[in-house]
Amino acid sequence: MDNTDVNVVYSVQHQLPLVMYIAQYFFFTGLSAGSFVISVVATLLGRREFKPIGKITAILAPILLMIAPLNLIADLEQPLRFWHLFIFYNWTSPITYGSFLLTAYPIMGIIYAIMVFTNRQTPAKILGILGVPLAISVHGYTGFILALAKARALWNTAAMPTIFLVSAMVSGIGLVVVIAAARWKWFDKDATPEQRQSDKKLITQLATFMAYTIMLDLFLIVSDILVLLTAHSDAYQAGMLILTGNFAPIFLGVEIFLGSIVPMVLVLGPTRKSMKAIVIASILVNIGVYAMRFVMVIGGQTIPLS
Amino acid sequence: MALAQKRYAMVIDMHRCIGCHACTVACKAEMAVPLEVNATWVKIIEKGPYPSTRRFYLPRLCNNCDNPICVRNCPTQASYKRDDGIVVVDPHRCIGCKYCIASCPYDVRYINPFKNIVEKCYFCQHRVDAGLEPACVEGCPTRAMIFGDRNDSKSEISQLLASNATTVLKEEMETGPNVYYIAADETAMSNVENGINYRTEGAFFKLRL
Ligand code: SF4
Ligand code: SF4
Repeated sequence: MDNTDVNVVYSVQHQLPLVMYIAQYFFFTGLSAGSFVISVVATLLGRREFKPIGKITAILAPILLMIAPLNLIADLEQPLRFWHLFIFYNWTSPITYGSFLLTAYPIMGIIYAIMVFTNRQTPAKILGILGVPLAISVHGYTGFILALAKARALWNTAAMPTIFLVSAMVSGIGLVVVIAAARWKWFDKDATPEQRQSDKKLITQLATFMAYTIMLDLFLIVSDILVLLTAHSDAYQAGMLILTGNFAPIFLGVEIFLGSIVPMVLVLGPTRKSMKAIVIASILVNIGVYAMRFVMVIGGQTIPLS
Repeated sequence: MALAQKRYAMVIDMHRCIGCHACTVACKAEMAVPLEVNATWVKIIEKGPYPSTRRFYLPRLCNNCDNPICVRNCPTQASYKRDDGIVVVDPHRCIGCKYCIASCPYDVRYINPFKNIVEKCYFCQHRVDAGLEPACVEGCPTRAMIFGDRNDSKSEISQLLASNATTVLKEEMETGPNVYYIAADETAMSNVENGINYRTEGAFFKLRL
């Protein structure tokens, strides 16, 4: 509460329960879900020039998703007891859904990647279609982890899972663009000029799609903040924390300006034909999404509860 | 049923509280609560322009809620509610995911830095089961804290609840707190930013091996 004539004589300091590992975990699952969705789109469209992208992303998705839970286990106070999650599950807890999703999804992702690499189109397509809902829930549930922790006003909004999904798409596309561009630059020398031209066009298209996803992301963030500012006092405080408080430089400066506006201008503006600009934009986008995870997870916990 | 289900609750009468922190000390001793963390504490604020100022106290502890969000969100059922309403953490089952700490609207749970598990106030279940009162209640020199079964109409607590205007912390959270306050100050009960609410050092990447 914002009460200026109140002087706190004595109160105690509390621990921050969720630390950077959790933010980083959200970042990695997001990257994984984003690249998986792109891979499935490439496989389903089945056009020859999409093949490389489909393969890169098919392999990225499970690798990223095997890194992600390491962060979770590192965050546990009792890492060796992680198996309790599977034995003593609790169906009202989003972490329980997560532990099963986090087991099913990489397995499916690996089988899918094998199908893509051995060129078995039909099973790859079927697995891809089955896998997209799984990829969406593996990342969407992380939004629910925050949204269902009702104590924290910054998290407890219905927009949270969607914001997480859209920013996951943004960062996923960004990563794929960086890797595809690196391949185009260094490992694509023996391709014909036409092929190189079409690869370049594909990367540009992906980047344009990324810019549109950023717009959707910005819309969701703006609507979330508008509602926070007009809701109850804790929510107002949460909105002010990221607009003018301690987390404003990272939120407005890194997440919104460097991570959304600058990449959008680079990709859609006069530099849209330049590969360098696109790669810089994609890297910035990933920095921005990482900053978003930081602001959400750490910032959300610094609003006083007592 | 012959006997109604027990429902343990606490009433804290702020007319009587003198802000002496005896409850904090009793709790620290009884539950071996380490330095830097607290299961019970007394928040003290000053309000009003000089010279019309006054101090207000607010003893804080886990509300052992009727609808505990910490229990709902615990992925391993390590946090659970006993039949008599006390919310406890099973120290052998807790994996230390800290989701319960993040979910509780009252900031009353903590990681025990020596045992690396989550702890909180259990209304001293070991003492209550042995027929004693919680340590803080016994330590309170002014009898500001009253503990008992609120389903038993003859208990002191149900008579206090019936004859006084009481409030609970953050009723809007739908947690159904079982710690009731008589004459508690509204500002003391709300969230107050004091610049040091959370400890951030070492909060980014700490490695536990
Ligand atoms: S006060 Fe917090 S920790 Fe205690 S029972 Fe209620 S929600 Fe759980
Ligand atoms: S830290 Fe322990 S008690 Fe809390 S939610 Fe995780 S497993 Fe449950």
